[in-house]
Amino acid sequence: MKTKNSENYTKWQKSFEQETKIDLNEASSETDEGIKIKPVYTKADIENLSFVDNDSLPGQLPYTRGPRASMYTNRPWTIRQYAGFSTAEESNEFYKKNLKSGQKGLSVAFDLPTHRGYDSDDDLVMGDVGKAGVAIDTVEDMKILFNDIPLNQMSVSMTMNGAVLPVLSSFVVAGEEQNVNKNLLSGTIQNDILKEFMVRNTYIYPPDPSMKIVADIIEFTSKEMPKFNSISISGYHMQEAGADNVLELAYTLADGIEYVRAALSKGLDIDDFAPRLSFFFAIGTDFFMEIAKLRAARTLWYKIMKDFGAKNEKSMILRTHCQTSGVSLTEKDPYNNIIRTSYEALSAILGGTQSLHTNSFDEAIALPTDESARIARNTQLILQNETGVTNTVDPLAGSYFVESLTDELSKKAWEIIEEIESLGGMTKAVKAGVPKLKIEESATKKQAKVDSGTRVVVGVNKFKNPKEPKVDVRVIDNNRVRDDQIKKINDIKASRDQKAVDKSLAKLVIAAKEDSNLLACSIDAIKNRATVGEVSKALEQVYGRHFATSLSVSGVYGKHFEGDEDFMNVAKKVNSFEKENGRRPRVLIVKMGQDGHDRGAKIVATSFADMGFDVDMGPLFQSPKDVAKDAIENDVHAIGVSTLAAGHKTLVPELMKSLKQIDPKSKIVVFVGGVIPEQDYDFLYENNISAIFGPGSNIIESAETVIDLISDKIHKDN
Amino acid sequence: MQFVEKIVKGERAAIAKAITLVESSRENDKKESRKLISELLNKPGKSIRIGFSGPPGVGKSTFIESFGRYLVEKNYKLGILAIDPSSQITGGSILGDKTRMIEISKNPNTFIRSTPSRGSLGGISIGTREASIILDAAGYDFIFIETVGVGQSEIMATNLVDIFSLIVGPGSGDELQGIKKGITEYADIFIVNKNDGDLKSEASKTASDYKSAISYYKKSSEAADKEVLLVSAIEQTGMEKVIETIQNIVLQNKKNKNFDERRAKQFTYWIEEEVREIIQFSIQNKIKEDGSISKFSQKVMDGEIQMFDAIEAITQNLQNK
Repeated sequence: MKTKNSENYTKWQKSFEQETKIDLNEASSETDEGIKIKPVYTKADIENLSFVDNDSLPGQLPYTRGPRASMYTNRPWTIRQYAGFSTAEESNEFYKKNLKSGQKGLSVAFDLPTHRGYDSDDDLVMGDVGKAGVAIDTVEDMKILFNDIPLNQMSVSMTMNGAVLPVLSSFVVAGEEQNVNKNLLSGTIQNDILKEFMVRNTYIYPPDPSMKIVADIIEFTSKEMPKFNSISISGYHMQEAGADNVLELAYTLADGIEYVRAALSKGLDIDDFAPRLSFFFAIGTDFFMEIAKLRAARTLWYKIMKDFGAKNEKSMILRTHCQTSGVSLTEKDPYNNIIRTSYEALSAILGGTQSLHTNSFDEAIALPTDESARIARNTQLILQNETGVTNTVDPLAGSYFVESLTDELSKKAWEIIEEIESLGGMTKAVKAGVPKLKIEESATKKQAKVDSGTRVVVGVNKFKNPKEPKVDVRVIDNNRVRDDQIKKINDIKASRDQKAVDKSLAKLVIAAKEDSNLLACSIDAIKNRATVGEVSKALEQVYGRHFATSLSVSGVYGKHFEGDEDFMNVAKKVNSFEKENGRRPRVLIVKMGQDGHDRGAKIVATSFADMGFDVDMGPLFQSPKDVAKDAIENDVHAIGVSTLAAGHKTLVPELMKSLKQIDPKSKIVVFVGGVIPEQDYDFLYENNISAIFGPGSNIIESAETVIDLISDKIHKDN
Repeated sequence: MQFVEKIVKGERAAIAKAITLVESSRENDKKESRKLISELLNKPGKSIRIGFSGPPGVGKSTFIESFGRYLVEKNYKLGILAIDPSSQITGGSILGDKTRMIEISKNPNTFIRSTPSRGSLGGISIGTREASIILDAAGYDFIFIETVGVGQSEIMATNLVDIFSLIVGPGSGDELQGIKKGITEYADIFIVNKNDGDLKSEASKTASDYKSAISYYKKSSEAADKEVLLVSAIEQTGMEKVIETIQNIVLQNKKNKNFDERRAKQFTYWIEEEVREIIQFSIQNKIKEDGSISKFSQKVMDGEIQMFDAIEAITQNLQNK
């Protein structure tokens, strides 16, 4: 307060108001998190902080300044690029190339069927095999994936949550068959099921048995795999789904609390497993906020673990991996993404991350090519080798702004953590659907800000590129991958000892019923060459497969457009459409295949409804046949297919076929939105798709296009 | 008429188009719709129509998914009419029932139609009755009508169905008094859902609360007794008891003519409703043409005439037309 009242401050305020012609009290801006950002911060702002201790040092409690004393001055962060596609053979080649070019750790992306516990030969997953990651059906695939990569030296991170048992088992057995004992394996398994129920939707079983599996893995690894991180508690996907930084931070830590409880319920001592808990955050474009988030995360985790009674210092230290934000990438003017990613990477580094993935600029369109992956990797190599950011630990410490923001973020997050606790913890909150709804609300607000131009996205809603560049993308021949995988599955099934497989699967079922540790049994089954799908199905017999019910927000989008001309224009068109046709334009918004990312679908649904459309929502994981039945029974005017996992080339033509099968005279307009490379546009148009909306499309404009298309079709008929 | 044949044959697209027609607010469509319905009334099927209502959060859709699965596994054909609220402000709606009816929505033996409630009050949308006639003609064994929440006008749903059931959650027994008396009075079956896990004892307590509450109702006639049932939608337990109860009530009510009486009453109500709508429509037109309301209002304002005299004059005027 002293500083604020000082003569200098008064003088500054006067100059500020003279220069800007704005009263200082009104000059603050507000972030998505509802935090007021002032034009200037002073010493007064870092006095009396609630969570941050201004005198602390790196590697000392509350660890705000970093988990280690020396940080990057001793060893820079690990460049860990997330990758995987097509078959194990091709991914293995890609990994080896990357390691030669300076990458230090591996991070495996699995395809959606593997995530959801289906083998590649399952009819349900036709369109998804090898698309958004590598297809793993048996341990043989896993062995190929790490061919010539010694698992006793390479740390491997695996993004796997749903089918975590068979996949981690395959990794362990692959190591064994490379003659590497499991106690030497290092790396991380994501194993974070709670956020799957919240946002990513690649779960298999209901919440309670899913939590049991998480706890089993923590128990097993804490005893048998001391160098392996048993979980990566992830906020990343929450921000990707539209959560602001407070929500991401609070829900991630609340998830962490729940996992600690689950592990404690196994009778483990907290210090036996807590040092192997790791975290994973998204780094978006709000530069200082992201830095503050990482500092706040460490500060709060320290407090949480101390409250749990941890004694080992390592239990109280939050170590994290970060990835630059995928949702901040745009399809329009894609080279801008290199710049966005660079700033996000710098944020993560200044925040003190332990490892980092930088996105490739083409990821809003397709999987990275060799060339775009090189640029992404070099972004980090340049930071490490050319900029000098590794020379000083936590260089922003003492910044009035950053310290005060760190504290403010901590306070806000803590309130939400307490709110989740008051609901009885995250499993209960997830079952009630609370976090999911909050995140969707935040996502819809963000979208409305972009569509209304309140938030500038360069090249999208301002400073558009008059000459959009053409970008070459990686193309996966999904049918070829699937055929290869099916052949491999059949060969293995023909050569394995079927009796041994049956016996080990039966044992697994018994273990599930008796509540004993499932990972040990699953490793046996995988060793006997049971497939990922077989192991998952065995447990499904006991636990069932989970289907999420879905709630929707309403009114959030429309609120941003009160009085907006374009918005009112569409609403008016909807009303006159109703007068003319006796009902409102009716649109079915669907996702098909195993892709569970439903942020886009949800936002489109709620904003179309806010413009006056009747919007049908389909369940997740539908087949094209299911969608056709749904569309025809509800006599919708249009179907909007949301696709993010490259399944569109298989699933969309299949949908068109199914529609004609049920109703040969079907006049339903079909449009597609999401991640679709321009190279595929012609293919889709040839399949009678009426419109394609890429990432960053303005929803109001899209809605207008859709209603015009519907009206045209009706008029043509008459 | 080919259209009718297609419906009776059960062609999905034709049924869907027919429902769109009966829901349409366009004058032309209304005429067409009346024609279609009168033809379909000559081709009645054998459907039992069941209404499902209940406060939000008790798992209505989840119950319907679970019970529906039980029925289609027994090879029954099941039609579902689900009504979702339209926004008062934008007029739009999100029709999300199918996200909770995942298995049955795939089944070829089901037809699931969501309908926005539009302006109409009380969870029954324009055209729901007609839609159930279409599904009946198309050969569906059971027609479920799922309505929005619980409200006074939900009672309108009882005018469309043979059996009305109220789905409630564990613990709701305490609020028994709070629940609109009418609904409990009209309900034939009370289904206490979530009889699973931690909630089991609470659920059975709630069931006995309901049992004792309905024992106070005077039995109006020989109509079948009201029943209270315990189910778990997620664990799919108690379903055979639900269908058994439904079939028993139908059987008993058919025997004592209650079933037919109910349907007859519903017809009377329907006719009354239609007549009222037609008269209302023509009066509205008359008022528009006549203009005497604004003329007389001015006179009232100017103090030339008393308000009630004006009203009398206006009505006289309209009746003479």
